[in-house]
Amino acid sequence: MSESARKFVVGMILFLSAGAVVGWLYDEVVMGLLVAALIALAWQASRLLSFERALRTGNFEQFRVGEGIWEQIFSRFRFERERAVRRKKNYRMLLREIRKSTNAMPDGAVILDANNEIIACNRAAKELAGLKRKKDRGQRVDNILRDPELIRLLQSGDHKSTIEMMSPVRDGEWLDCRVVPYGGDQKLLLLRDVTERIRLSKMRRDFVANASHELRSPLTVINGYLDSLIDDESIPATWQKPVAQMRRQAARMRQILSEMLELSRLESAGAVKSDEPVDVPELLESCRQAFEGHSKVANVTIDAQSTAELRANKAEIETVIVNLLSNAIRYTPEDGEITMTWRSDGEGADLIVADTGEGIDPEYIPRLTERFFRVDKSRGRDDGGIGLGLAIVKHVLARHDAELVVTSESGHGSEFRCRFPAERVVVEPPVPLAGGA
Amino acid sequence: MEASDLNEHISRRFNKDIEDLRNNVLVMGGLVESQLSQAIAAIVSGDSELGLQVARDDYKVNDLEVTIDEECSRILATRAPTAGDLRLIVAIIKTITDLERIGDEAEKIGFLASKLAAMDRPADSYRELKTLGSHVAHMLRDAMNAFARLDVEEALETVREDERVDDEYEAIARQCITFMMEDPRSIKRVMNVTWVARSLERIGDHAKNICEYVIYMVHGRDVRHTLYSDDTGQDSG
Repeated sequence: MSESARKFVVGMILFLSAGAVVGWLYDEVVMGLLVAALIALAWQASRLLSFERALRTGNFEQFRVGEGIWEQIFSRFRFERERAVRRKKNYRMLLREIRKSTNAMPDGAVILDANNEIIACNRAAKELAGLKRKKDRGQRVDNILRDPELIRLLQSGDHKSTIEMMSPVRDGEWLDCRVVPYGGDQKLLLLRDVTERIRLSKMRRDFVANASHELRSPLTVINGYLDSLIDDESIPATWQKPVAQMRRQAARMRQILSEMLELSRLESAGAVKSDEPVDVPELLESCRQAFEGHSKVANVTIDAQSTAELRANKAEIETVIVNLLSNAIRYTPEDGEITMTWRSDGEGADLIVADTGEGIDPEYIPRLTERFFRVDKSRGRDDGGIGLGLAIVKHVLARHDAELVVTSESGHGSEFRCRFPAERVVVEPPVPLAGGA
Repeated sequence: MEASDLNEHISRRFNKDIEDLRNNVLVMGGLVESQLSQAIAAIVSGDSELGLQVARDDYKVNDLEVTIDEECSRILATRAPTAGDLRLIVAIIKTITDLERIGDEAEKIGFLASKLAAMDRPADSYRELKTLGSHVAHMLRDAMNAFARLDVEEALETVREDERVDDEYEAIARQCITFMMEDPRSIKRVMNVTWVARSLERIGDHAKNICEYVIYMVHGRDVRHTLYSDDTGQDSG
């Protein structure tokens, strides 16, 4: 019990006892006690009332100094109140700082609740996507940003992928959108301006396409003359070898250009339109035969575990097989084994090209599909590879909703697995009726 | 006690129905917007494949129109909405018709884009169509935003914007006539350009209609075929 509380209790008891004593003098103990209690009650009630008035008016003059219980209550009250004010001010400052920093962020951020309704957004979101801070609170975000792709992203609950959409405010600008879950079931929609990146990648694509196209005509002329030179008996013997080499290199250049053009064509085209059922084992066989008869080729076997057909563009799938097979042959010694497998299950189908060659270091696997990427810079130039094959494979597969999975162990060979989704697989190809021709 | 619970339940379901309906209209709006911007991109970049894609995708817009229309009839029949709710339904029925027409025009533009892509391209690669197109796309976007936010101010601004689109269309039409007189061989191509401009101008008109429905929905006042003065935005009661 604090000092003032003890004083209060002691004072109260003393006062009541004094009343009782005075009453005893007059032979009326109870009356004396009662009168004292009434006086004490009246006095405390008047203090209580004036405290209430002080609370109302804010004038605490009479409670400011002194040791009594009411003064103590007041000082405690004032202390708590000041602390609350101070704390509130701190919070407000903190909040203002957070507000300032989110507003300074160059990326737009929109806080959404479980129904995709907007709770708050920062200034960048306002500028990038044209959201209105006050007016759009409680509005569903896909009512304002109505891009069909974004609606799909919001509904899919996919928190990993991003989509690109045109800025609804500024023409020709692109936003990269991403949804991140946070808190309970709230979500954060992040918007980033990627106009520059899109412009650059378009420039690069255009440049590659134009350059390859422009280089092709001069190269055709050079190739033509070299072809006739090689048959010319009259050129001196010393020039015959250089001419042959020039012709080989020119042919290589032509191949590089045609692959670059193929790649830029694949990049600019959308999803595959012409879907024909492709008999994959048959395609594997014809690709194998194309490489037969070359010297120093490892043994190629075909393992067709499934009769399912693939709905795809046949020419493009053939490109995939040829690229994977020629890679496998290039990196597998003569006594090695190459296996091409076609199998299907309930969730899709796999086209696998596995070899027992030298394998790939795991650190290089993620970079394999980059253009002109080579694991070993010192080799590969002379054996016909130019480093575009896997990039083409990746693009063709992406156009067929498929993905490329590479597993490899250095020294023990590699496996390239093309995983096609179930929608692309025709599990039971139409079987001709028994007894038919 | 039980009756009031039931009432509350029904009205909550009703609210949800109306809210879903409104969201669907905005989804349809988003689809139409993206169709339009792709059609314009197909014209500007001479991408015939993209143009045909737009033409092929028009069925999605049509499907949505049918779905929303059925939903509207269902709500009208089962809920018998009144006042603001009724105005909302009426406005939605009209809005989706206009959206569907915009989808048709976008389909037409996509088809024309694939035809234009096969012909000679002028040096400016249809800059005037790009300008008109982005103008119209903005109008459509603002109209849908006004619908989402029930924002009469924005709707009125968009309605006024239509005049400028009409002026631009006039200018393009005149320019096209000049081209055709200068070089009769270009008539076939320039005719297609005129059709595209015409479609864009029509889309502007449809966007304007949608804005008028927004005003009707909010104020309960029909502002069609009237002159727009500055006091139109005030509620007359």
